[in-house]
Amino acid sequence: MSAASLGGRLRRVALRQSYAFALVLLVVTVAVNYYLQPNFFQPGLLSGNLLLFVPLMLVAVGQTVVVIGGGIDLSLGAIVSMANVIIVTLMAQEPSASRILLALGAGLGAGILAGALNGFCVAVLRFQPIVTTFATSFVFSGLALYVLPEPGGTIPPGLQGFYYTNPLGLPMVLWVVIVVLLLWNLLRSTRYGPYLYATGGRDLSAFVSGVPVSSVRFLSYCIAGLMAALAALALALSTGTGNPIGGTELMLQSIVAVVLGGTRLSGGQGGVVGSIIGVVILSLIQSIVSFSPAPSSWQTLINGLIVVAALAGPGLFALLRRGVRT
Amino acid sequence: MADVSLSAQHLVKRYGGVVALADGSLDVTSGEVLALMGANGSGKSTIGKIITGAVVPDGGRVLLDGEEVSFSSPQAARKAGISAVYQELSLVPDMTVAENVWLANEPVALGRVRRKERKERTARLLSLFEDALGPSVGPDSLVSVLSPSDRQIVEILKALSREPRIMILDEATASLGARQVEHLFELVGGWKAQGMALIFISHRMEEIFQIADKATVLRGGKTVGTADLEETSEEELVGLMIEGGGAPRHVEKPTEAAERAVLLETEDLRSSVLDGVSLKLVEGEILGLGGLQGQGQPDLLLALFGAVAHSGTVRLAGENVRFSHPRQAMRKGLAFVPGDRGGEGLLPIRSILENLLLPSWSRYGAFLNVRRARKDSEDVSEDLSLKMGSLEDPVSSLSGGNAQKVVLGKWLMRDPKVLLLDDPTKGVDVGAKGEFYKILSDLQERGVAILLHSSDDEELLGLCDRVLVMRDGVVRRELSGGDLNKSALVSASVGSSDGPPSGGAA
Repeated sequence: MSAASLGGRLRRVALRQSYAFALVLLVVTVAVNYYLQPNFFQPGLLSGNLLLFVPLMLVAVGQTVVVIGGGIDLSLGAIVSMANVIIVTLMAQEPSASRILLALGAGLGAGILAGALNGFCVAVLRFQPIVTTFATSFVFSGLALYVLPEPGGTIPPGLQGFYYTNPLGLPMVLWVVIVVLLLWNLLRSTRYGPYLYATGGRDLSAFVSGVPVSSVRFLSYCIAGLMAALAALALALSTGTGNPIGGTELMLQSIVAVVLGGTRLSGGQGGVVGSIIGVVILSLIQSIVSFSPAPSSWQTLINGLIVVAALAGPGLFALLRRGVRT
Repeated sequence: MADVSLSAQHLVKRYGGVVALADGSLDVTSGEVLALMGANGSGKSTIGKIITGAVVPDGGRVLLDGEEVSFSSPQAARKAGISAVYQELSLVPDMTVAENVWLANEPVALGRVRRKERKERTARLLSLFEDALGPSVGPDSLVSVLSPSDRQIVEILKALSREPRIMILDEATASLGARQVEHLFELVGGWKAQGMALIFISHRMEEIFQIADKATVLRGGKTVGTADLEETSEEELVGLMIEGGGAPRHVEKPTEAAERAVLLETEDLRSSVLDGVSLKLVEGEILGLGGLQGQGQPDLLLALFGAVAHSGTVRLAGENVRFSHPRQAMRKGLAFVPGDRGGEGLLPIRSILENLLLPSWSRYGAFLNVRRARKDSEDVSEDLSLKMGSLEDPVSSLSGGNAQKVVLGKWLMRDPKVLLLDDPTKGVDVGAKGEFYKILSDLQERGVAILLHSSDDEELLGLCDRVLVMRDGVVRRELSGGDLNKSALVSASVGSSDGPPSGGAA
């Protein structure tokens, strides 16, 4: 095989992945970070940098599932807040094993129920996803404030310590990523995989082919609710306390991460791998901004501009990819 | 394969006020190919959709192996062994061929889809069409990059993958090439021998005689007869399809059209679909575009309106024009009324007034003279005899026929010289059709030249002075005067008695 055709093939393979652009951006942001902060690659610093982004990553994964199925969920941030305060409130009273299990069960259950409510409205009652989930987000935020009006409560220290360990020498963050990727692969390898992509890709064709479109949609919101609840747990473990508005920022950031990762907002395409890369890029951008010499009052603006520029990328890349196909 | 029999009896289906199927019946058994025939809009596809569970009938019954069944979804019909190759594709473009073929029917072990097996089985299915498919088509090809004919074959394989006992091919050959059709027919012969029952819905006379054993003919939503094809001639079938074809003329036609000025003229018009169309449209004339559906009629209208890239000469009142955008065509006095009124023609939730005025606001000044605009709208809606509450009501409150009048009305506000109509009365009830025809003949008297594409043959016969019959993107025949009758129109459409192609019509 000649070098040119090998190069062409590599280019085609790389371009076929929906997260091709995210990979390019990842390299760029890592390079800039290294330039600004030469000790960037030191293991302790690296995992410390990433730890806080586990909640965002989990929410983004849930968001990805919903978006692939042709929907969107604006209530995930509120679900995180709600599940977060439920977990912390129940745990803080009495740190026994049964109590901890109860708290975990209640938190995850609340997340799934919240997702089921969204799913019911969107898939069964056929409400508009954007409006519906925006509306339910106020319900969940309200419940969060009812459970815990102000930030507070503590997590049993042993539990929190476990979160900061490095099992088998690998940081916890990495383990979470590995487990999430394995679960995603498992999900994709069941019938639910093709059903989800078909529903988001063209729901009429899916329906005519015999795909239970409503159930597929409903389940996608339930999965997102569960992921939000897991994010709430991660948030509680990493901060050690409960916060009724702790998840608010995650909602929009998760959508940005999904788009950066090459998942199309109109549905039927993309995947979790891209979204995880998207989350990493987001955190790297944040660290670039905070280490850059710009005054702190400029940071929000700079952060916003970089994100806007990055979001334009997947669209441009899709054009390029179409060029390769034909 | 066990023997199977299917019997549909007196099926009825209404969409709003429109009766799509009044009394549809058919019978088919193992080892048999039944052709379902009829002119445009006779209810063929509706019967097919009822049998496959895509549509629920309003009356009648379906018997499968002698027992009454009613399918609430395509899934239910499929479980009973009935598969359909749909005319509207059921494929998801962003998924691969293998994923599409086995969608909702994946080979599964322990809850996991067996991708390797799925791929192998797809490759085996694809090999059935080995020489007839594009060279790069494989199980992992994305459907969105396939050609229309290859997609149609994937659709056929998808139906086949469910191992049906009864298969419905609804216009399945329409987008296939000759070689692929031949291939399909060889396969059909094999399936027949294995005991499958097939229902073949097609317009193409030649194909029907090639593979079908018997034919059931529908006319105006009713089954009018079933014929054994070995004992029946083409003429007899066409006769069944159009019996009583001396349709009453809807309007009086002006006779002296020939002396009037040519308003619109094309020479060798080509696009991705059109293959060299030449025509002349005279002032105050209604020129019909007929033929089977999907033979390039909408493309011709869109090309004339500047909405589709095209080459060739277009002359408007003797002057060469080249429209690359509908705005240019509109400025020169052309108007286009699309067939899909929900999709292109109207903003359903906005008021009738806004819809009528949308293309015309530029005529009412920089600071809009709303009072004058309102007055003009009232005049037009009166001309159209719109049945409505008030101009402020949303278009969605109107009946189908009245909504279609609004589509026409918004272009009439601009006093067009040439009106391009793309199947304007499709899905409109009979009463509203009559009023619509009246409006067209008024316009005709005012000297407006009208180019009318219609899937309703009666409409063409009743309204038009001349009808151009299109097939495969070319005008095959021009019918006028004594030649303009139902049997000539139908036989020219299906190509059963082809005269020399009259490319330079008029």
